[in-house]
Amino acid sequence: MTPTAPYTGLEAEARICAHCGYCQAVCPTYAAIGWESAGPRGRMTIAAEAFRGGLADEAAQRIYECTLCGHCREACATRIDTLAAWLEARRRLADRGALERLPLGRLRDNLRQAHNVTGDPTENRLIWQEDAGLPSARLNGRPGAAVVYFVGCVTGLYGQGRSIAQAAAELFGRAGVDFTTLGSEEWCCGFPYLGLGLPDEAAAVARHNLAAVQSLGARMIVTTCPSCFHMWRDVYPGLLAAPTGLEVWHASELLARLLGEGRLGLAPHPARVTYHDPCDLGRNSGVYDAPRAVLRAIPGLELVEMADARENALCCGGGGNLEAVNPALVAEIAARRIAQAVETGATLLVTPCQQCKRTLATAARKTRARLKVLDLGEIVRQAMDAQAG
Amino acid sequence: MSTPLTHPPLAELLGDRYTESPFERSFYGRDLAVVPPRLAALVGQTTPDAVARPRTAEEVSAILRYATGRKLAVTPRAAATTAFWNTVPLSGGLTLDLTAMAGLIEIHKARLTATVLPGTRWADLDRTLQRRGFTVLSYPTSAPAATVGGWLCMEGYGIGSLKYGGLEGHVCGLEVVLADGRITHAPGALEAPGALQVTGFAGSEGTLGIVTRAELVIRCTPAAIGHHLLAFTDMAALAGAAAKLAATTPTPFYAHFATQSYGWFLRRAGFASAADGALLAITYDGEPDEVMLGARNVKQEAARWDGETLPETLAVREWEERFLALRLKRAGPGVLGAESWLPVARLAEYAADVAKLSVRQNLPIATYGTVVAPGQATVMSLYGCDEARPLPYLLALSLTKKLYDIAFRHGGRPYGIGVWNTPYLSHALSADELATRRARKRTLDPLNILNPGKVYAPPRLLWPPTFKLGMDALAGLRRMGRGWLR
Repeated sequence: MTPTAPYTGLEAEARICAHCGYCQAVCPTYAAIGWESAGPRGRMTIAAEAFRGGLADEAAQRIYECTLCGHCREACATRIDTLAAWLEARRRLADRGALERLPLGRLRDNLRQAHNVTGDPTENRLIWQEDAGLPSARLNGRPGAAVVYFVGCVTGLYGQGRSIAQAAAELFGRAGVDFTTLGSEEWCCGFPYLGLGLPDEAAAVARHNLAAVQSLGARMIVTTCPSCFHMWRDVYPGLLAAPTGLEVWHASELLARLLGEGRLGLAPHPARVTYHDPCDLGRNSGVYDAPRAVLRAIPGLELVEMADARENALCCGGGGNLEAVNPALVAEIAARRIAQAVETGATLLVTPCQQCKRTLATAARKTRARLKVLDLGEIVRQAMDAQAG
Repeated sequence: MSTPLTHPPLAELLGDRYTESPFERSFYGRDLAVVPPRLAALVGQTTPDAVARPRTAEEVSAILRYATGRKLAVTPRAAATTAFWNTVPLSGGLTLDLTAMAGLIEIHKARLTATVLPGTRWADLDRTLQRRGFTVLSYPTSAPAATVGGWLCMEGYGIGSLKYGGLEGHVCGLEVVLADGRITHAPGALEAPGALQVTGFAGSEGTLGIVTRAELVIRCTPAAIGHHLLAFTDMAALAGAAAKLAATTPTPFYAHFATQSYGWFLRRAGFASAADGALLAITYDGEPDEVMLGARNVKQEAARWDGETLPETLAVREWEERFLALRLKRAGPGVLGAESWLPVARLAEYAADVAKLSVRQNLPIATYGTVVAPGQATVMSLYGCDEARPLPYLLALSLTKKLYDIAFRHGGRPYGIGVWNTPYLSHALSADELATRRARKRTLDPLNILNPGKVYAPPRLLWPPTFKLGMDALAGLRRMGRGWLR
């Protein structure tokens, strides 16, 4: 990650903004919408001027149309921590009742009532285990386990996500990882709360989740979701004003280690594969090499990079609660990424993120791209299945 | 009930790429320059009445035909990365946002050229070319955002110009839409007196026509690149070394310099500077032996001018940070300044006079620039300001004029004109050149619909005699009150 200058507050940073447009050049929202108001320097203008008086709904909409991908932070000539700015703007908008005026109230209510993004009963977090015939009683809430697998809302509750959790559980199990999950005691990691502009509520779920892990005595957290990973590793200590005392790993890092230690055997899996860096794993957490190492460890797999990769990777559009505010914009942003994937000639697009998988798979279908989208763990499991077979 | 549109045919033509929304329009009344709204209002109506985002030359043509029919002012704009209000309207009208016309159309390998759309950002173009084994000859120091059309409409000197010359020399041909909507080509298509040529169009700041396509000379990606960074205790030595290296074969690709005060400014903004002295960064690229020869030249000149050779890691860092001069703004929060052409031979005297101004006005001034041709540099001098404090801001504004005065004393002229440099027209252009440009404007845009109020004459507020008197008076006031102004 490019280091930013210390954040000095929204109005101050908005005045420091040089309006150079470097941010605009990389902004997925601006690329799709095209109006100045839709880019980061437009949002800075809103921040600098609009908060002085009333804030029109169209200005609030622009603030919430950001995917929080962090690309503008990488590009900023004055080294503004733009993500901090967008989150502060949202916090202030939420204080002014913007969530009711924009279609975000439902997401907030789901989080408050069911502690997840969908509003499903919390027991539904176990469906992925039941579907796979996994023994829930032994899998969930096991005291003394070394590792807690934090599944996440989208992985646990969406149909397209469940196979990711199933693959992860199988891989960890086969590699002999002593792991458990929080089962129905798992709450949303708090990332959507932050994106809504409700940091106090994010802190409350952080406290719940940490207490749940501590009650089991585990010292390590692994997530398949990059946003949960980013929250646990980088945001929770700030929200809780104390270190969590836990080692936090993303599944791609753990898989790279397990493969390196020879704890997972893989058979040849010939395929031309391209890799999509999730924003919260890459730009916002600095993990680029581990998932690539996992893919390179699969015999016969050819990894081809897209034109924009690693720090420059295009966002899939799935972040920042954009889906709740402007789903058509998500589709447009995702289509641009799919076009880049298609250009590589790959037949498989792999990403270690359930939200990127959902967004990109939908875009691939809508754009009729001949491209299958898989999570990283899913392709490793396929390679393992092949060996087992 | 929605407000009826003022220009329904444009909405019909462009659909959702046309807006008269007050909210959307409000973002198109500025560029990099931070101007307090009350001062801006004195100059003109800087918010456009409508904004259009065409995608094709045909759409641009239809828009200009419509605008000509109604004598509607049209302000072309792309990334708006200048600070002279080149892209800010002075009488409302229609802003033509050309950023949707972006992309590389074709590489012509046999003649080593590339055809590109005008809204293509330089960094994007170069990245795309590099994937195919090519690169551009030069690019602006704002390449991550600045566009091909935008830089061409400015003077087009920056990184790479020392070795390859200004941008206009790299343009093999342009497709241009003229004010009356005709789609034409330069050079050569127009035979009438005042005919449009690439050389006439470059630097015209969008006042003669809208570039809708350009064919640019490119080159193969160089096999080697080498970066050097020298620190000097005085600017005279730096200028001597820079002048010598710029004039010696092989020619550096890039020669960037910064005064000691730039380093101070950088540290105040919270960033590391490579050394305490004045810095000269030199980059060679090309064949390995050329780069090696360049390294030998740098070593020789460092010894001759008593320059300290800094570690290569710092030289590489300077290169990687070549687009980040605006980091200085963190020391502001605003910055004002003056960018001038200057003979390299007068660089030390210029820097000394700026230092004196800095002391007189009790205001740190950072100076940096690029040697863009043998013997010629573009030099930027910046100082901090705070637009939220109107009186100190207004007084600080006067120092821009003082900086230009210094540049003029040393044979300089403003880089770019736009609105804010129109009081210095007599320094920017000779009487003959100005007459030629005005005649060309009358021929190609007789109704003066394209970017009116720019380049050719100052607006009333900036009428040179009163402007200069006023600025000098403000500078004098500032100097007297410098204690309580801080």
